Amino acid sequence: MLFLLAWRNVWRNVKRSTIIIVSIALGLAGGLFAGAVMMGMGESMINSAIDRNLGHLQIHSPAYRRDALVSNYIRSPQKVLSLLDTLGSVKAYSARTLLEGMASSANSSYGVTITGVDPERERETTALVSMLVAGNFLADKYRTQAVIGKKLAERLGLKLKSKIILTFQDRSGEIVYMAARIVGLFKTESTAFDEMTVFVRQKDVTRLLGARKPLIHEIAIRLKNSSTLPATKARLASGFSDLKVEEWREIAPELAFMSTSVESFTYLFVAIIIFALIFGITNTMLMAVMERIHELGILMAVGMKRGRVFIMILMETLLLSFVGGMLGMLIGGAAIAWFNHFGIDLSAFAQGLEGFGSGTTLYPYLPGVMYAALTVMIVVAANISALMPAWKAVRLKPAQAVRVY
Amino acid sequence: MALIDVRHITKTYNSTAVPVHALRDVNVHFEKKEFTAIVGPSGSGKTTLLNILGGLDAPTSGEVLIGGQNITGMKESALVEFRLRHIGFVFQAYNLIPVLTAIENVEFIMLLQGVGKKERHERARTLLADVGLADRLDSRPSQLSGGQQQRVAVARALASRPRFVLADEPTANLDSESTTSLLDMMEEMNAKYEMTFIFSTHDARVIERAHRVITLEDGRFQEDKQ
Repeated sequence: MLFLLAWRNVWRNVKRSTIIIVSIALGLAGGLFAGAVMMGMGESMINSAIDRNLGHLQIHSPAYRRDALVSNYIRSPQKVLSLLDTLGSVKAYSARTLLEGMASSANSSYGVTITGVDPERERETTALVSMLVAGNFLADKYRTQAVIGKKLAERLGLKLKSKIILTFQDRSGEIVYMAARIVGLFKTESTAFDEMTVFVRQKDVTRLLGARKPLIHEIAIRLKNSSTLPATKARLASGFSDLKVEEWREIAPELAFMSTSVESFTYLFVAIIIFALIFGITNTMLMAVMERIHELGILMAVGMKRGRVFIMILMETLLLSFVGGMLGMLIGGAAIAWFNHFGIDLSAFAQGLEGFGSGTTLYPYLPGVMYAALTVMIVVAANISALMPAWKAVRLKPAQAVRVY
Repeated sequence: MALIDVRHITKTYNSTAVPVHALRDVNVHFEKKEFTAIVGPSGSGKTTLLNILGGLDAPTSGEVLIGGQNITGMKESALVEFRLRHIGFVFQAYNLIPVLTAIENVEFIMLLQGVGKKERHERARTLLADVGLADRLDSRPSQLSGGQQQRVAVARALASRPRFVLADEPTANLDSESTTSLLDMMEEMNAKYEMTFIFSTHDARVIERAHRVITLEDGRFQEDKQ
């Protein structure tokens, strides 16, 4: 009956309780949604990077990770590729030749990474082909061809079918020039990537490097399901202990940092909201106690122990906070689910978002564990809110309290 | 052995600059089945005496024995328990928990005592029928008249099977008809359950019906009329 009493006491003043419940609900829902948008943005940046060129895993020679020289290529790439062909978790892979060089036109030049790829493999591993805004992905008739970012083309004053001069060093340090026809232009979410990456056919650079077989500096791996990442990484690492097998978090630690910091920030943001709500709840419950001094005096006079009075006030506060909290999570969760399905169109801010490497359609999301954590936070906050009013109630002297009307 | 034995009770309040002597060396005893009114003008010490009898306040000196047990100097938790099991209270107004129904208000005391659900429900029904409210079990206090609320308060006070009931100005907020009706009912309970009722009042209607009238003035015992 104590629970029943507490529940009914919450609704004694319907207007007041409704106001505080709605405040809690809206505050929490707003915080959750803001957090979900931030996490969605972070997720968008990560997925964009994985889709664009990162993949879930990458393999390099340790020397290449220290120093990106032409000569630091993977010595026996075929063994790695053979194993990848047998792993069920692997969706696709692309073995790349990476050369640091310059891209030049009559007007200008710019430092780029020249990426020699097997076009078919690259098409299966990344989503770059879907980001072409003009032309094709190295499938044209020209002897040497290149696909560059639209931003780079603008910088160099080039367009589709223009000739671009690529300059790089071979294994002996000699400068090599490659004239290529631009057969494709791409535009990704990352301005930096668009400016600094040039794709060429692997066989073209292999020929210019004077090598018999392609020099593989990087193997990018796309998994069918990201949940298999740890197991796949462990399998590859144990199979090739002389190579560096890294997941996207290690290749792009700034993305990983952003992912964890956004989650932490969301918790902090919601904690601040809940902290502010504590004052509102405490104030409401204090009013509720002050209005009931006479009644509380009678309860203690007839034999209700102070401990039970304390628990009753605590229960009322918990119920108030819990109802508001659950409603907030429901509203917030529904809003997140809705926009996660339909997306939020931020194309008006495309330029700014491209600077971050984020797409223009955001899909907010919140991991399930966060809802559980928030429930705990609400319960803790409710208990803290209840302390002062409950203390006030149990400090009453029954003889005096019963004479207060 | 008297049901309640009050020995040399003095109560002084020192919270103000000038001490207030609410009770001065009061000695009185109460027997079982009494229907007693403590009367006196405002400030005479009636309510203070009632509070001390009920363990709601501690005397400055003296002692109170209830059934031979000295409640003066008892720890608070023990006093709360003692009140719950041995003393019933009826206050001037707003006795009831507004969010509980009549029957739930009566059951509440028994819940605090740990009485089982079935037994407390049965007992509550019986008591409310005794006080003439068999048809208002599920009414909330706001749906009852002042007199009806006081009847529920009496039923609640009796629910814990106390040794005696203390009623502090129970008729102060009632009209004549309700007062008469309430007093009739309380006399009936006094007879039926052999329950001791001790009132503090300055309502002439109550004084008329009391079997014993104790007069206080300026905290001192003046008269004890049977």
